[in-house]
Amino acid sequence: MDLNGRQLSEGEVARLMLSESSLAHVQRVPAIIGRGQKLQCQRCGSQVLEALPNGQHYCASCVNLGRITDQDSLYRWPAQPMTQNGTLTWTGHLTPEQAQVSQALIESAMQRHDHLLWAVTGAGKTEMLFPVIAHALAANQRVVIASPRIDVILELAPRLQAAFAHLPIAVYYGDSGEQPESQLVLATTHQLLRFYQAFDLTIVDEVDAFPFAANPMLAFAVKQASKGAVIYLTATPSQELIKRVQTKTLAVSYLPRRFHGAPLPVPKIAFGRHFQRVPAKVRRVLLETVASGRQVLVFVPQVDWLPVIERLVAKLGLSVASVHAQDPERATKVQNFRHHVWQCLVTTTILERGVTIYRCGVIVLQADSALFSAAALIQMAGRAGRSADSPDDPVWFFASHYTRSLATATSQIALMNRRGQHALSTV
Amino acid sequence: MRCRLCNAAMSGNLQLSDLAWRPYQRLHLCQRCLRTFEILVDRPTCPGCGRANDGALCQDCHRWEQQGETLLHHSALFTYNTAMKAFIQQYKGLGDYRLHDAFAGMWPHWLQHWTLVPIVSEPGHLDRRGFDPVLGLFADLPLRQLLAKAATDKPQAQKTRAERLQTPQSFAVVQPVSGIKQILLLDDLYTTGRTLYHAKDALVAAGFQGKVQSFSLIR
Repeated sequence: MDLNGRQLSEGEVARLMLSESSLAHVQRVPAIIGRGQKLQCQRCGSQVLEALPNGQHYCASCVNLGRITDQDSLYRWPAQPMTQNGTLTWTGHLTPEQAQVSQALIESAMQRHDHLLWAVTGAGKTEMLFPVIAHALAANQRVVIASPRIDVILELAPRLQAAFAHLPIAVYYGDSGEQPESQLVLATTHQLLRFYQAFDLTIVDEVDAFPFAANPMLAFAVKQASKGAVIYLTATPSQELIKRVQTKTLAVSYLPRRFHGAPLPVPKIAFGRHFQRVPAKVRRVLLETVASGRQVLVFVPQVDWLPVIERLVAKLGLSVASVHAQDPERATKVQNFRHHVWQCLVTTTILERGVTIYRCGVIVLQADSALFSAAALIQMAGRAGRSADSPDDPVWFFASHYTRSLATATSQIALMNRRGQHALSTV
Repeated sequence: MRCRLCNAAMSGNLQLSDLAWRPYQRLHLCQRCLRTFEILVDRPTCPGCGRANDGALCQDCHRWEQQGETLLHHSALFTYNTAMKAFIQQYKGLGDYRLHDAFAGMWPHWLQHWTLVPIVSEPGHLDRRGFDPVLGLFADLPLRQLLAKAATDKPQAQKTRAERLQTPQSFAVVQPVSGIKQILLLDDLYTTGRTLYHAKDALVAAGFQGKVQSFSLIR
């Protein structure tokens, strides 16, 4: 097992059956420190601790990584510099705007400054990262790309492997198993809790996505795991990140234009009652989109809706499937949809980001639901128009009334498009 | 109030039917999580061990009878389906004690007529976990800890069925049993029945002459 820069609990170390001598240079720290009400978990930073009947306390926030109590230690392996063949084998080209952003990222990374890359959905964020990653790898540094969404990690893995073909990339998620020792690591933000001061460059993709945004533990994980610059990537930055930009603690690059240069598809909003049925308007939009040779992603606010909407769409004579977070076949279904097995895929917000389907329309049912934030709506709309040959895929929000999220989402998309008309601007 | 399993907020709104017939019990699980468990109550089950079947005595219970055991007439609340396995993994496997009262308030009413004797953990397991999973699970009931369990070579969960059935007796009765009319043994999970029959044998050997039956969260 790759132990470079790792942080493991006693239980995890015991399972590795390491010799006492190999643990000699490993730093041991108490897993939970503090007294009385002020206990803090040293793995995840959480202060909400549960008592056991035997008087010990354990951290319930990160218990899924293996329980740690105030009697346990954490083992921290020092990070060693690594030299592997991190040659960039990607042969594509960046647009002038992308190249400029890419250069700004390299400069921030060298100066160990945190950086926000605020780029619209489909701007080609991943490609823009290649130069800064290659730069760090060449300097014998270690790089991690982390995302709160496992789908994002799984989508990124093959693209990065292709871009750095000589490197054995390590991919960490819940049950990823043994991974090679690598200079380039992909991990869910949860898995960063198993690293300590390990990475010279940390890239957090989709930083505003659930559960990262709602979970201070994951921000703590990023901070603990990195010892250099952090690059945040998103199309919809949180107020907190924008505030850090305004107070100049975070550099920012702004890319309001998609790589193919076309504006973002502007959502059309239709009002009516759309509770768990497919009214005429939705039906027409669905059939028109499919007739124009496109696939359709249908977003619904709750898992309970999936079978209902799936059945109704099937009644229209379309091939359809549905997928949700707990679906055991989640990855396969998305892959099948990409290979045109179905014309329509009904889903929840789990597919709102990180998924690129070419020639794909987007329909959001009950877009006024409180469960859809403005960021979620922008991300869902951002699934459309990803390919250069079809930048104007239709996006429809069906709602029974107007909400602040709907207003914010549509005005933000319009704003991006206006900014995208001008040349790249740095805020 | 949040659901112990999925952390979703639960409304505290009462319906009239919640207050009718018996004292109101606030549940610690949301409806969505509850629906993932498979309920055994009001279904035909084996009268010996409580497993879901056509209501006839199953092969395993016939075998217990042939070995001279008086049947435990076991009953349980839920089957050991995927959701329940996930619960046990989180609670006993990971040791997430926060879940110990997840099923509080769901126990059948008739339990109150029995002296409730929990099947306690052996000292080694208790040390490692920091809690006794059975005591935690039934913490909202009045329990009488009559039994103690000695160390065994390995946990039941790591054994094959044949190995489980050959496990030697490891229970001892640590309190006087006189004056008790009927005992209901409580455990988290009934798999082969070996543990519970050992517990009953220990009580009988200690001179208990009343009725002994058993109840578990899972069958």
